[in-house]
Amino acid sequence: MKSTSLTFTQTLLLVEDDAQIRRFLRQSMESEGFNVREVATLADGLVDAGTARPDLVVLDLSLPDGDGKQFVQELRSWSQVPVLVLSARSAEAEKIAALEAGADDYLTKPFSTGELLARVRALLRRAATMRDGEPATVHFGDVEVDRSRRLVTRAGQPVHLTDIEYRILLCLLANADRVVTQRHLLTEVWGQAYLERGHYLRIHISHLRQKLEQDSARPRFILTETGVGYRFMPPANAPD
Amino acid sequence: MQTHGVDSSSPVTHSHWRRGALRAVLLPSAIALAIWPLSAWLAPANIVMLFLLGVLVIAYYCNRSAGVIAAVLSVALFDFLYVPPLFSFAVNDIQYLLTFAVMLTVALTIGHLTSALRRRADDAEQRVAERAALFELAARLTGSMTRDMCADAVGNFLRDQLQGRCTVLTPDDNGHLHPLRGTTGYLLTQAEQAVAQATYDQATGFDARELGHDDGERVLLALRGATRRRGVLVVAAEESAAPLAGRIELLRAVADLLATALERIHYVEVAAQSDLTVRDERLRGRILAALSHDVRTPLTSIFGLAEAIARSPQLTDPGLRQTAQALQDQAMRLNTMVSNVLDMARLQSGTVRLRREWQPLEEVVGASLRHSEAAIGGHQVELQLPADLPLLHIDAVLMERVLSNLLENAAKYSPTGSRIRLAARDDGDVIEITVDDDGPGFAAGRESELFELFERGVSEGSVSGMGIGLAICKTIVEAHGGSISAERVPPAARDDIALHGARLTIRLPRGTPPAVDAEPEEQP
Repeated sequence: MKSTSLTFTQTLLLVEDDAQIRRFLRQSMESEGFNVREVATLADGLVDAGTARPDLVVLDLSLPDGDGKQFVQELRSWSQVPVLVLSARSAEAEKIAALEAGADDYLTKPFSTGELLARVRALLRRAATMRDGEPATVHFGDVEVDRSRRLVTRAGQPVHLTDIEYRILLCLLANADRVVTQRHLLTEVWGQAYLERGHYLRIHISHLRQKLEQDSARPRFILTETGVGYRFMPPANAPD
Repeated sequence: MQTHGVDSSSPVTHSHWRRGALRAVLLPSAIALAIWPLSAWLAPANIVMLFLLGVLVIAYYCNRSAGVIAAVLSVALFDFLYVPPLFSFAVNDIQYLLTFAVMLTVALTIGHLTSALRRRADDAEQRVAERAALFELAARLTGSMTRDMCADAVGNFLRDQLQGRCTVLTPDDNGHLHPLRGTTGYLLTQAEQAVAQATYDQATGFDARELGHDDGERVLLALRGATRRRGVLVVAAEESAAPLAGRIELLRAVADLLATALERIHYVEVAAQSDLTVRDERLRGRILAALSHDVRTPLTSIFGLAEAIARSPQLTDPGLRQTAQALQDQAMRLNTMVSNVLDMARLQSGTVRLRREWQPLEEVVGASLRHSEAAIGGHQVELQLPADLPLLHIDAVLMERVLSNLLENAAKYSPTGSRIRLAARDDGDVIEITVDDDGPGFAAGRESELFELFERGVSEGSVSGMGIGLAICKTIVEAHGGSISAERVPPAARDDIALHGARLTIRLPRGTPPAVDAEPEEQP
């Protein structure tokens, strides 16, 4: 799974205003066999996304000509192409806005190219899974989740999950490799009225980890994106 | 107007009294003369009435003593001129003695009542005038934009109403009183200045004090604002003016109005100042954000370009590969430094607001471990987190920074491969989080300096230190109402674990975690 088992060349659209960053990103993406298109502004990005139909968009959130969130919103109105955003640290609000507008994942600058490529591959694989249909059964660690039978087992033994824990798990699995914001999870599992009760979510996530992770303080699959939300990381997609 | 406050020692009232006495003599005499040609037709009872009318007039227009003079004189003139035998004080008909007695009593009573009435009317009139003047003063004070304008308004009022002069003293930043510019209507002696200062300094105590003086009276009033004293008002009256002692209430009213006005001006200044500060900080926040972006962009390039070299398959020279990796490490370290400096500036400028939520500590610790993986990977981190630890009311992003900084610090100052322990315990009111390492520990006696900006515990050259990391931890923890301290724990004091390095302890208030509704258990 790790190496690109792609039969056709996939196109990445890079929306980034800094020429040096574009240079090394293009270099490493091309060396991984991707076809790379680059633009420096959001306006060009939208045009290019429409004409070139890329398989994935890498978007810098701090572009001078506007709001990354708006870009994602407009893009999402006609396309489901995966979007990976790049943003500065300590800009949680910006990340959350972009994720809620429909972006799939984010990386904080400065980032490792290896990490970026791993995230890109994960999102592309995810997009392919979405097209082909998801399997009912998901494996991670020694855990098996059979969604068709609502059955969770760990090392062959059934694991008892409460209704809410199971719904959180389903939401995370359905969004594997994406960052799910706290708001998204609260709305999905509890409903709008619970938006102010983030601690409910954190407590149930903690229970889920205790039941499904080897070490709940060092989770490998249900990861915290502090200040933003959570991410389910399938076992195959650990970074290089 | 000065009929009240009769005071024979005052020259003003003295001449006034003489004028009254003169009238008290002249009017009954004039009446006596005027009646003379008509005395044949007038009954003695009517003559008495005319004299009483005279007493009434004198008592109304002059003062009470003039009334007494007029009363006595009228009785004497009546006896002398109209009671037989004429031109003699002798009396034929003994009944006239009763007439004289009644006439004198009535005259004195009329005189007394009339002058009292008159005085009350005068007082009321004056009070109305004063109230009008106070109103005007209040209006002028409300419209005053500066302290000097306030003092001018008060000066004019006191001059018109009390013939007094005044000086307004206001404190400087150090609490020393100074007369307001242009209001030194009265120059204080040094002794008076000292008394004024004492009046101001006393938080409680008298608010009006009379100062004895050779050439007149001085009254000193504290200007009491709603929150604290705003200064002192000194009023001086000349010897010829009415005494101030009787007007303390009026002076207090003036002092209160002035204090309110000075307080208003004070708060207007404070508001203007804080408005300036807010604009200042907004600007600073924007500069920091721009700086943060401008610095990170080239850092991202350097890091990425170095990584591109290190990953390049064409690069076969292992030395060059190491160089590229070192470049990457250095860029990452520079990024940490820049982040710390910018975050410190942001925290100190007050532009960062805590986003506190109830968080399980385990989750924040887990995120910190993942975030600092690269820096602490060479160490074994032991966690001792009790399962029943309550939720903490913290800003998870900032607290993750604190824990990451502490873990990275511990890794940096202890040998590779050694153990680091992160433990937490519920201490009732406080949650205590400790990070122990197995390094050399801190220099004794310098533990608190560690948290000062750019202070480093050990002066060794091989390990790079960033004092700002601990300074940020301190700022963040204190913003949460907690505290952070460092100590070197001797091996003997260690219980189960043989770590003998530094220990950093965070204490966070426990607070009252919210109740969580139990979820109905359902079988899957």
